[in-house]
Amino acid sequence: MTHSLRHLARLAALVTSATLMLAACGSSSTSTTSSTNKSTPLQTLTIGSSNVFPPTLNPTANASQAIDEVIDYNVLQHLVQLAPNGSIVPVLASSYTVSDANRVYTFTIRKGVKFSNGNPLTPADVVFSLKRVYAPGSTYPYGKIFDVSSVNQVGSDQVRVTLTTPSWNWLYDLATYSNGVILDPSTISTMATDPIGTGPFKVTGEVSNYSVTLARNSQYWGYKPHVSGVVFRYFSNADSLNAALQSGQVNMIDNLSAPSDATLFKSNPKFKVVSSLTNGKVQMTLNNTYGPLKNKLVRQAILFATDRKAIMDAASGGYGLIDGTDTVPADPYYLNLAHEYSYNVKTARKLMAKAGYAKGFNLQLVLPPYFYAKLAAPLIVSELGAIGIKVSVSTIDFPLWISQVFEGGNFQATIIDQAEGRDVSNYGTTGYYWHYAKTPEVASELTAANDAPTKAQWIAGYQKVLKQITSDAVNDWLYIAPFITVIDKNIVGIPTTAYTESYNLSYVGIGGSIPTSAQHLGYLS
Amino acid sequence: MQIAELPVVGDATPRVRGNQHELLRFLVRRIASLLITMFLASVLVFWILNILPGKPAQVILGTQATPSSVAALTAKLGLNKPLVDQYAHWIYGLITLHLGNSYISSQPIAPVLGAALEVTGPLVLGGLLVGIIIAVPLGIASAVRHAKKSGVVLSGLAQIGIAVPNFVLGILLIIVFAVDLKLLPASGFTVWSTSITGALQSLILPAISLGLVEGAILARYFRTSVVEVLEADYLRTARAKGLRPNQALIRHGLRNASIPVLTVLGLELSGLIIGAVVIEAVFTLPGLGSLLLSSVANRDLITVQDIVMLVATTVLVVNLIVDILYRIIDPRMGLRS
Repeated sequence: MTHSLRHLARLAALVTSATLMLAACGSSSTSTTSSTNKSTPLQTLTIGSSNVFPPTLNPTANASQAIDEVIDYNVLQHLVQLAPNGSIVPVLASSYTVSDANRVYTFTIRKGVKFSNGNPLTPADVVFSLKRVYAPGSTYPYGKIFDVSSVNQVGSDQVRVTLTTPSWNWLYDLATYSNGVILDPSTISTMATDPIGTGPFKVTGEVSNYSVTLARNSQYWGYKPHVSGVVFRYFSNADSLNAALQSGQVNMIDNLSAPSDATLFKSNPKFKVVSSLTNGKVQMTLNNTYGPLKNKLVRQAILFATDRKAIMDAASGGYGLIDGTDTVPADPYYLNLAHEYSYNVKTARKLMAKAGYAKGFNLQLVLPPYFYAKLAAPLIVSELGAIGIKVSVSTIDFPLWISQVFEGGNFQATIIDQAEGRDVSNYGTTGYYWHYAKTPEVASELTAANDAPTKAQWIAGYQKVLKQITSDAVNDWLYIAPFITVIDKNIVGIPTTAYTESYNLSYVGIGGSIPTSAQHLGYLS
Repeated sequence: MQIAELPVVGDATPRVRGNQHELLRFLVRRIASLLITMFLASVLVFWILNILPGKPAQVILGTQATPSSVAALTAKLGLNKPLVDQYAHWIYGLITLHLGNSYISSQPIAPVLGAALEVTGPLVLGGLLVGIIIAVPLGIASAVRHAKKSGVVLSGLAQIGIAVPNFVLGILLIIVFAVDLKLLPASGFTVWSTSITGALQSLILPAISLGLVEGAILARYFRTSVVEVLEADYLRTARAKGLRPNQALIRHGLRNASIPVLTVLGLELSGLIIGAVVIEAVFTLPGLGSLLLSSVANRDLITVQDIVMLVATTVLVVNLIVDILYRIIDPRMGLRS
């Protein structure tokens, strides 16, 4: 009896001490929270990210947008960069000139710039970095800024780049794609974990599949952001991320993966919802070589039968923009062609009958595992069902999507966010996965436009291509993907658009204000 | 009056010395079968992962890469070599304790795996602990009162516990303890080197989510086991010699009742590891589950292979230990089976 009583007493003591420990943990956590809420001059900004954890921190080795979000512009910089308002601004170049009809670019390298390890930036570093992109055996992720015939240092502070063919897009590509980052040649071997750059931040820590920590770069040559550092914390679950913001564990959410979640925060005075547009064209890609889809009339019928407004409401909570073609408002050649295929089931049925498919046909819609695709699919099924097309839906993981749909072209239709900026050139790329019949014609149109002597002629050439592909209904452009950021009310300086894969934090601050020049460039005041 | 204690199961000392050789042979046999299973598992894992569509180089470089970049990266990763060579290279690395470098980050996998284990290990153990703390009293209480209303209620509670998925419980716990009461963090992990209390705090809610369901399952097994023991002859004898029912149960019954539960516990460990994958996603913990999911998504095949082999080895070894343990608890089981 005494023996078992002793057991019971021990058990009771254990339970009591565990409860006390829990209570103690609770109280210490509360006090930590309250102390971090006090406004101090420089605080750490914790961003709850809906992105995947960056598979590496080297943006020249992997195409994951998650790497660019953290590293590009913030740690590694370019000669020129894209500001949120869409303008190309000199960064590591203090100025540049363009000559020989957009073939030769001469950059004057900014003086007094140092890498975060203290090494000075030299024109030789710039030459090294740009040559590394197109060198034989290069494994840079984007097929951009490869079209270079030479990069040379000119004088003591200039670098001259000569292209293989003239291009009105090259400077944009250099500014926008992370292929354009300028590296310290002595730090290449450690870039996967510790990329050394000239940006406002440097990497100070990384917990795999959890967080990346940046601290202010004391060597930084430009405006000093009003935070001591930034922590990107990754959440694979949208509910957990929303809860983390509501409980004060993070200061902001970079981009809501389910845009309709914005309603959770809109009415709460503690938070501000900033919605903007991306370069992403969410589209139903049609395989132009598949049976009935070979017929332009069928593709046009599909475009008339889809109610894009309803799809955007369902898939992105009504955020985004419908413009009915492969362009976004930031493009110089922007056109809104939404009116070309206004939702009209009658017209769609007529076109189906004219094409000889009055009774419809079967269509397999294969989806990548993304929210927007899953949310859009049921509407597509019912809308195409209304004109006799019986759609069956399946979902596959992204690597399989790349292999089966993108590489293999083994699909009938899919829904995808074509995320790259100014990518209308895909319509002139032989073998591109939608297999547009007029690819060669578009390719020569684009080449002619790039050779055009004036910007206006270049724009006209690109707009002609947009009209052509829209008239041919190559794909069903559903809407421009939005970027919905939720921030604590006192955060300033975040970019107000998302036209780059980088999330530029050069002007970010908790409390305070940002320079007027930064406001003009499109940073939140 | 003192009554001489009757021999009960477990007091079989005379057999043990003679069994030493048998124990050794049993161990050799079991370890050999463990090694064969591990070899077959490695072949299977490697083969399945390598027939998965989605070339790593194309996944790494994305949809805008030039074909020559993709080819260059494939060669750099050694993925253009025959599969047999790739398998031999990987397995030789594992045998010599070199887990290899990640395809994606080109960094050694071992430290990343180690960091993930610092989260998942304590999480699974914590879950197990919570499970046992719940299962033992709940199982005993519902068994002792199995014929009474209160016993039925306790059994019902356990049944509800089994029915609730752990991720639902996790979200409920977050809402109550993190968002409303602000007692514990809603999610995330403070690494051990930064703060041990911080790390413990991060694991409390996840371990409870994982352990409650596990506890409910174990409680049902424990209840059945204890009910059987309560009706056994030797317990009646123990009571007859003057022990109170609870004394008899604690001294002579629990050891026997724990044998089937131990078997279930061994099997449940794999359930806990799988549960941890889900719970880590809910609480955004940087553990083995998160690493596995991201590695699959990134087609970091070598990391996936290493993780699967690690988990398979752990489960096999734990089952071996359980096998050995219940032969120690109950020598009647012998060493031949």
